[in-house]
Amino acid sequence: MKKVFSYATAYKASAIIALLLMLLELTVELIQPLLMAHIIDEGIMKEDYTVVSIYGGVLAGLSLLAFAAGIINSFFAANVSQGVGFDIRRDLFKKVQSFTNDNFQSYSTPNLVTRMTNDVIQIQNLVLMLMRIALRAPLFIIFALVMAFTVNVTLAFILVAAVPLLGGFLFWVLLKGVKLFKGVQSRLDHVNTVIRENLAGVRLIKGFNRGDYEEERFDKVNNSLMEKNKHALWLMEIAMPIIMLGMNVIILVLLFVGAVQLNIGGAQAGEVVAIINYATRIMFTFSIFSFLIMVFSRGNASANRISQVLEEPVPQFLNAAGRPHFNLSGNVSLKEVSFSRNEAEVLKGITLDVKAGETIGILGETGSGKTSLLHLLPRLHDKSKGRILFDDVEIDDVNVKSLRQQISLVPQEVHLFSGSVKENIAWGKENAAEGEIIEAAKQAEIHSFITSLPNGYDTMLGQKGVTFSGGQKQRLSIARALVRKPKILILDDSTSALDAHTEARLLKTLKQQNCTIFMVAQKISSLRAADQIIVMHQGELIAEGNHEQLLSLSSYYQQVYKSQQEDVM
Amino acid sequence: MTKDKSRNQPVIRRHHQGIGTAPPKVDDMKATLKRIWRYMYQEKKKFNVVLAMIVLSSGLSLLGPYLLGAAVDEIIEEPNTGTLWTMLSLLFGVYVFQSLFLWLQNYWMINISQNTIYKMRNHLFSHLQRLPILFFQKRQQGELMSRLTNDMENVSRTLNTAVIQFVTSILTITGTLLIMLWLSPLLTLFTVTIVPVMYFGMKWITKRTGKYFKEQQKHLGDVNGYVEEMFSGQTIISMFSREERVIKDFEAKNEALKNSGYWAQTYSGFIPKLMNMLNNVSFAIIVGAGGLLALNGSISIGVIVTFTTYSRQFTRPLNDLANQYNMILSAVAGAERVFQIIDENEEKQDEQLAEDIKEIKGDIEFRSVDFSYEKENLTLSNINFHASPGETVALVGPTGAGKTTIISLLSRFYEINKGSILIDGQEIHSMTRDSLRRQMGVVLQDSTMFHTTIRENLRYGRLDATDEEVEYAAKAAHAHEFITHLPDGYETVLDSDGGGVSHGQRQLLSIARAMLADPALLILDEATSSIDTVTEIKINDALSKLMKGRTSFVIAHRLNTIRAADLILVLQHGEIIEKGSHQELLQQEGFYSGLVRAQQAEGKASV
Repeated sequence: MKKVFSYATAYKASAIIALLLMLLELTVELIQPLLMAHIIDEGIMKEDYTVVSIYGGVLAGLSLLAFAAGIINSFFAANVSQGVGFDIRRDLFKKVQSFTNDNFQSYSTPNLVTRMTNDVIQIQNLVLMLMRIALRAPLFIIFALVMAFTVNVTLAFILVAAVPLLGGFLFWVLLKGVKLFKGVQSRLDHVNTVIRENLAGVRLIKGFNRGDYEEERFDKVNNSLMEKNKHALWLMEIAMPIIMLGMNVIILVLLFVGAVQLNIGGAQAGEVVAIINYATRIMFTFSIFSFLIMVFSRGNASANRISQVLEEPVPQFLNAAGRPHFNLSGNVSLKEVSFSRNEAEVLKGITLDVKAGETIGILGETGSGKTSLLHLLPRLHDKSKGRILFDDVEIDDVNVKSLRQQISLVPQEVHLFSGSVKENIAWGKENAAEGEIIEAAKQAEIHSFITSLPNGYDTMLGQKGVTFSGGQKQRLSIARALVRKPKILILDDSTSALDAHTEARLLKTLKQQNCTIFMVAQKISSLRAADQIIVMHQGELIAEGNHEQLLSLSSYYQQVYKSQQEDVM
Repeated sequence: MTKDKSRNQPVIRRHHQGIGTAPPKVDDMKATLKRIWRYMYQEKKKFNVVLAMIVLSSGLSLLGPYLLGAAVDEIIEEPNTGTLWTMLSLLFGVYVFQSLFLWLQNYWMINISQNTIYKMRNHLFSHLQRLPILFFQKRQQGELMSRLTNDMENVSRTLNTAVIQFVTSILTITGTLLIMLWLSPLLTLFTVTIVPVMYFGMKWITKRTGKYFKEQQKHLGDVNGYVEEMFSGQTIISMFSREERVIKDFEAKNEALKNSGYWAQTYSGFIPKLMNMLNNVSFAIIVGAGGLLALNGSISIGVIVTFTTYSRQFTRPLNDLANQYNMILSAVAGAERVFQIIDENEEKQDEQLAEDIKEIKGDIEFRSVDFSYEKENLTLSNINFHASPGETVALVGPTGAGKTTIISLLSRFYEINKGSILIDGQEIHSMTRDSLRRQMGVVLQDSTMFHTTIRENLRYGRLDATDEEVEYAAKAAHAHEFITHLPDGYETVLDSDGGGVSHGQRQLLSIARAMLADPALLILDEATSSIDTVTEIKINDALSKLMKGRTSFVIAHRLNTIRAADLILVLQHGEIIEKGSHQELLQQEGFYSGLVRAQQAEGKASV
């Protein structure tokens, strides 16, 4: 909460002006009953029309003043709340840009998006409320009580005794309500989960004919949501009638005591009227409190979620300058490299020597550590132990940015961005010339497909654009990697959706590039031509060599080879 | 709360047919409100009670200030304790009942609105279960989700409060006006002068807020979309060092959002200020003019006091009405989106003479089947084939050739246009859909799992299976071993979107689930994504066990599945272009043999 509120300090001036204006408005409102008392006691009771007209005029003038203050307050309050929202969104976005894959695993994308939008909106609402009405409600009550004292001490005492009692009751109910609404929220989440699963699994549900079962399941969560909701709302709705009754009884007491005082000459009629007026206004102010506490508790939860992201620890190496720039030649060696994530060892003592221009094939089961190994090179992960060298230079001494500029990664799951085909390929190299883009597309075997599209390279991808097949997306993603002419190319199972002809042609073209290639594949046929093939198993490198060597050396490799041979007959 | 059978079907009774049916576009709001009312109709008695309570509490809230004013007059003019006591006890009674009625109306209204929402949710959900598959294919899941959750919540919140407030506001305004007129027509006239000012002021403001709120919504959407896209591609961004560029692009969208938000908030901030000022002005007018009148002696001071309270009661609900109207509008828009789904056509009902089938052997025949989703283009034309019990039929062909459609027709998700589909020699449209589908089991390539334990996920195949049967099926599907290696074993909770176990393991679970179902007909959609070889061997073995003795339809990608099939249907553009066993098709030297030969040359295992 603190961290999030520190954002408001940048808008201190606006905030102070807004608050001062709010105080001005408040003062006017508080003076009004006084003026009214004066008009009644001095003007009407004493039949003095000048008092009535002068004070009536003052009343109207002050109203206009308060109005002007209120309007100007709107500008400054909006400035603070929108500014804070803007700054938080900017910082959140920047922060996430420095996230590593590990950071991403503790948050899902939709979760982060919610924090950036909904939670920030909650904070904005909270700030706006603070600027406009939050302080107003308690201040109004306090000032109203003080003013009541200046009017008539005896009557004011009655009011002072009653207000904390009712306020305390209201506060208690609301706190309880907030708790109950948390229960409602979790029931609502259940309902939403059932709906989401139902939509996602619609084919399965229809296939197994489980519609009735699903309806029952839904009815259960829906019913429990309804019950919880009723209870929470009932509690909240009982608060106001009780507060009203309480306040009204106070007014009756004030009337009675006022009448007695009037009889013995301790009070004037106008004073009684003014105090009753204050009491009525305090009653209306109470109803604002329930709103305030709701916004505050929501804002508080949001602030915590935002702080969590802002304070998420990210590796420091990204900021470390390292060397300004270092030209890779493509030689890579790993010495006893280990990598742990959440205290589990994902890679154990990997040693590997790769010469510039070589192709390294990688084979292994899901979860054997292939992807983690490849992510160590561009430092998407940071090794925990051992050394990684590029031409005898330690990876820690290389500027991360320059390192990444010379490495291209084609990840297992293709991610393209909305925009044109051309823009997507140019992601690999900013300001890439048209010729470079076409060349990369040709190398990735996607050029002829692109030119066959009506809009060619300007074809739009994404939600409203053309849908590409899995293989086409993979090739586009390879073109994006090639356009920067990397020294090291990492293909993480990224040719799986290609047909055999295309894949073979592609591999041949890649071989001619002046770069070191790391290539994960499930099919021996894709790996066969590699200079070196390594076999990974449970984070260890269990065998290495070329195709022929492995056939005679590694039983795992033989087994895989055999099972795939059968397919071919 | 009557939990009768009709709870999913709102009672439709058109007792108030609106005068002159306007064109639907203009009438939308009315029609939607009417439909919501139909759900509430079963709570009609309670609703009448609520209305009575509202009338009573509004009446009392109007009576209160009047009596208070009278009491003040009493004190000032004629300090008589006897009458004062009467006044005070009268007021006390009014206040007690006012609060009591207020509480009761809220209590019952919450009851009504929550019951109504419960019914609407259930109705919507059951309707979803009866919609054809095509409906889901046409729509984005996120968009549907938003209708089912956000829009419903919107309606729920509005029903809770808006109805009462709306009625109360109208009653209060009318009542206040009447009392004010009765007290002093002249002062009333003065008070009412602020109404036109208020009207034009509000119009001026809402014209601007409306514009900026719309803009803000659009920019928020932009930011949302951009952030979502970038976050899900974060690896690519860091890999290609595009952080700065991306941040810069984001900054522009963020700025746009801030600007529209600034104006939207500023202008909407004007509303309460305007109301406040008008309140104060009317206060000044009443005191000023009232004072003058009191000097004349034409009204009493008590009337002035009463009047100031009433004038507040008069302007406040006017402001509330504007707010409530907006709330109701947005809820109606939400309800309309919900009703659009409810209006989607359900799958057709079973024919009258349709009978439940008990057990089938699994003899399947398609005779000259034509089918189209939409009127014009045939999705499938002249499909003919026959599969004997226990045989495996492999469906081969490019995406969109009609493989999935054939399977959907067999499950009667759609109705064929021409020809007939026979199971054990009986036309499928003479069977009830439920009993037909009960004969089938599915294993889909996306391996859908639910957010619950592995045990419950497997049990989805047969709801009454014992723990032993579940584990037996898991063993047969080679899933038992990895399950028992998980820290929580069968109690491991799966994520619905993929967490918990690997892709290959999910497929094994999916197979185990189908084994537990023990269907006579099996439908398989083979996975295309690459799975490591060891797991794949397990999957293949488990599948062949599963398919044994059942008539199976496989949307096949792997060559060894296809090769092992008894009947291969090669589909293109909705037609069967070749059909036969692997050997037969190879000898035909057609499309299929070309396909196989190309794959063999490259040593690739999938088609």
